[in-house]
Amino acid sequence: MKTPGPGSRRGRIFGPGVGEDVDRELRTHLEMRTRELVEQGWDPGEAAREAARLFGDAEEVARACRTITERQIRAERRMGMWDAIRQDVRYGLRTLLKAPEFALIGMLTLGLGIGANTAVFSVVDNVLLAPLPYEASDDIVWMRERNTRGGTMAVAWANFVDWREQAGGFQALAAYGSRATTVLGAEQPLVGRVTWTTADLWSVFRARPERGRLTVADDHQPGAEPVGVVSGRFWRNELSSTPLADLFLEVNGVRVRIVGVAADGFDFPSGTDVWVPVDETDQPTSRTSHNWDVVGRLGPGSSLPAAAAEMNALTLRLVEGSDDDPDFLATGVVMRTLHEQIVGDSRRALLLLLGAAGLVLLVACTNLASTLLARGATRSRELAVRASLGAPRGRIARQLLTESTLLALAGTAVGLGVAALVLHALKALGPESIPRLGEVAIDGSVVAFAVGIALLTVLVFGLLPARRLSRPDAGAALREGGRGVAADRRAGVWRVLVVGEVSLALVLLVGSGLVVRSFQNLLQEEVGFDAADVTTLALSLSPAKYPSSAEHADWYRRFVEEVRGIPGVSAAGFVSSVPFQGYFPNARLELDGDLEKHAVGGYVLADAGAFEALDIPLVAGRLFDERDGPDGAHVAVVSESFAEAYWPGENPIGKSVTGGGMDEFWQDGRFAQVVGVVGDVRFRALARESEPTVYFPYAQRPSRTQFSAYVVVEAATGDVGALAPALRTTLQRLDPDVPPRITPLEETLRASVAPQRFTMLLLGGFAVLALVLAAAGIYGVVSYQVAQRTREMGIRLALGGRRSTVRRMVVGQSLGVVGLGLMIGVLAVLAGGRVMSAFLHGVAPTDPFSLAAAVVVLGVAAALAAWIPAARGTRVDPMITMRAE
Amino acid sequence: MARVARAAVGRGPDLKLFGIAVRMHKSQMGISAREKPTMPDSSMELLKGTLDILILKTLSAGALHGYGISRYLREATDDTFQVQEGALYPALRRLEARGLLESRWDSTDTGRDAKFYTLTKDGEAELERGIQSWKSYVAAMAQVLGGARA
Repeated sequence: MKTPGPGSRRGRIFGPGVGEDVDRELRTHLEMRTRELVEQGWDPGEAAREAARLFGDAEEVARACRTITERQIRAERRMGMWDAIRQDVRYGLRTLLKAPEFALIGMLTLGLGIGANTAVFSVVDNVLLAPLPYEASDDIVWMRERNTRGGTMAVAWANFVDWREQAGGFQALAAYGSRATTVLGAEQPLVGRVTWTTADLWSVFRARPERGRLTVADDHQPGAEPVGVVSGRFWRNELSSTPLADLFLEVNGVRVRIVGVAADGFDFPSGTDVWVPVDETDQPTSRTSHNWDVVGRLGPGSSLPAAAAEMNALTLRLVEGSDDDPDFLATGVVMRTLHEQIVGDSRRALLLLLGAAGLVLLVACTNLASTLLARGATRSRELAVRASLGAPRGRIARQLLTESTLLALAGTAVGLGVAALVLHALKALGPESIPRLGEVAIDGSVVAFAVGIALLTVLVFGLLPARRLSRPDAGAALREGGRGVAADRRAGVWRVLVVGEVSLALVLLVGSGLVVRSFQNLLQEEVGFDAADVTTLALSLSPAKYPSSAEHADWYRRFVEEVRGIPGVSAAGFVSSVPFQGYFPNARLELDGDLEKHAVGGYVLADAGAFEALDIPLVAGRLFDERDGPDGAHVAVVSESFAEAYWPGENPIGKSVTGGGMDEFWQDGRFAQVVGVVGDVRFRALARESEPTVYFPYAQRPSRTQFSAYVVVEAATGDVGALAPALRTTLQRLDPDVPPRITPLEETLRASVAPQRFTMLLLGGFAVLALVLAAAGIYGVVSYQVAQRTREMGIRLALGGRRSTVRRMVVGQSLGVVGLGLMIGVLAVLAGGRVMSAFLHGVAPTDPFSLAAAVVVLGVAAALAAWIPAARGTRVDPMITMRAE
Repeated sequence: MARVARAAVGRGPDLKLFGIAVRMHKSQMGISAREKPTMPDSSMELLKGTLDILILKTLSAGALHGYGISRYLREATDDTFQVQEGALYPALRRLEARGLLESRWDSTDTGRDAKFYTLTKDGEAELERGIQSWKSYVAAMAQVLGGARA
């Protein structure tokens, strides 16, 4: 070709080239035409003008030509790109299938890392990040009073009323309180969660009814017909969607007309079945009757800090000059967004899990990187051949990247599958304390997150080998068959990767070891009672049927007697608080017949049967008996710690104590004489020390039986479940309107540590995952190194080296690197272990046992992972290995 | 590249354009533009789409550059069609974009550079189709017009 014009169809370059090509072509035409005219006898100048005239608008023609050709080039380029991509993908698939082991390891590695992260991120996204499902939910705040110790306490009605009238920063402010109570009128007697609330609750949430209406201010007026609103869930499940006209329920003894069904998304406070109006006229005026929680919607232009400052000032003004006990008066408010109030407690645990999942992903990526690198190295010869045959460098890099992308896509697919499984497990295991866990689903943003992780991994680690392999010194690789200088450099990178992988895995292993240890500690806590073979009945009588507390007490006495008669029951009794089941009141009590002599203690009503059923040991004196009826002398039993705290070194028997404000006898100055001392019981939680507690016979002081009542039953046979039918029948016989809520105490115990178990299981799972990944990574690297050094080993063996020596050498070198990783991991744990301390119980974050165990487990796994490929590699015949390549 | 240049202007034997024999008037090449107006009264608008077929037909005899095609069409049709010479070039590029033509820069016999177009396989097939449809078009027209006269 004489003229290297811009025109060979494929090699044309977009842009100025096209314009030049067009101009040149048109110029050629004009020149030829001019010459033709000159040959016909035209004057040259005239001829040029004539040629131009005959040609027409050259500008226009040139523009049209350019447009057409540029469009064509673009189309061709697209086609060309697709062709190339198709080709790359086909080639990539073929090479991946040729090395299924590598493809599988890579896919699973990525899949597990991405899966764990996607699942945990789904939960974090839904629980922590997603706004609450209410209109402008950021403006909804939750508040309580601040107590003298800086903690929170429920809001006194008198304060709430003044807040509502005087606070300016809110569009609406509502008080609410809820508890589980008997609801009659549904298909069966049941215990529903009932929330008493002011009418403004609906405006705070901008809630709308699904049908009927919500409660309004008039419903709260004295003399108004009692009305209520039910949740959509309750209406459908328990009321079979009965039409609202003439729908009545008996809620806590009051006949309530149901006027509306709340829209489905409305669930506040969580789990509420029925909302009923607060009787605003029948509330204590004291500023120390702390009974309510408050939610509010911030007004336009108001902010949480501003509103909180206003409320603090207002509250201090309100309590000033109050003659209520200053120890129980508010010192301000505690205000937070409702979102924070709902998700706050689970944040720490979820972030820990997210961190752990992140570490797993890091291990997975490191693993993938070393696998890609090893594979790249094995292929360096093939690629060098391709490069020397003229494949452009960019093309080879692109090829490697295509392979990595295919791997990433496959990994993402596996990861999403894994995520679905993990999420399923999370939901099944997740404690109720994680709000909104049930709603969590893998959604678009989370999938995008997963794909993002996969692509990032590929870009970073897929390019690393690509850069290395597409260097211009491909000839060197060809000559050396992939060994030599390049191999040394690679070995350096590997060491770094293995060290990183091992140290990350160690951190996870130690973390999960610590959590397991602390969980064991938790379960071994001395709680002061024996939950084995004990079942509890939570009972709630209708105040309409049993208006007085004496009638309550009488009913419980009869019921307990009946229960004791059931065959297989070895002990049964009444108690007002059951360990780990919510309600455990404490109060300021008076001592020693002196109303000015105070003590603080838990207040529990019980009978002797309860102590027997729960195996709470009697330390001194006696338990309650038939002498301690309503007409007998008032008596009490105190816990050991109560006796030690208030009568140190003295005999508590014969001392006297009141029930404080918990019952009415304090007003008469009526003291109860201490007749016995029992062992300490942890009522609040496994991990919380027992509090000094005073027990009174419920027959003598029945008033709290209306609020909280349990019957505890111990089975003689050891099979508490077998008692349930008989218990239900007995209950049915005594009062068919009392819903049976029967829970084995051990189940309550288990549920109380569900958050810790959840953290432990997940962290443990992640640690195992990291361990497996790290081992797989080491296995891969050693396999590669063995393969690379087959020749060297062959020589050594041929020269009389013993197999075991050669093997030891390979394993030893790997373990040196592993050891370094372990050391760095240990240092990391020692430096950063404090993050864990909030999750630990009775274990230091640097617990040497956990550290040692993790080091041993990881060390052994690493040694195995190194030894297996080394053993396999040295088993071959030296002559064969020497002839390799 | 002499092979390409051989097909250049005014050399070919008589061509059959759309089945109509077109006499190559060598003599006409000598007629000056002054004596012969460039747009004779007998000139007419080129029917839409026929330029493409004319180009394909012209190139079926061998590679040719734009000027050559233009000159050949002028002479072969006795300047019947009233076409601005520049209109040829977008048409060439459109045909090329459709894959009916290929182009490359080459030297002419006189040693200057020009962009030569050749027919592709697709181009040949397209030409065949074009001729067929033109023939049936002409036949249909003739039948109607001839019948009207009768």
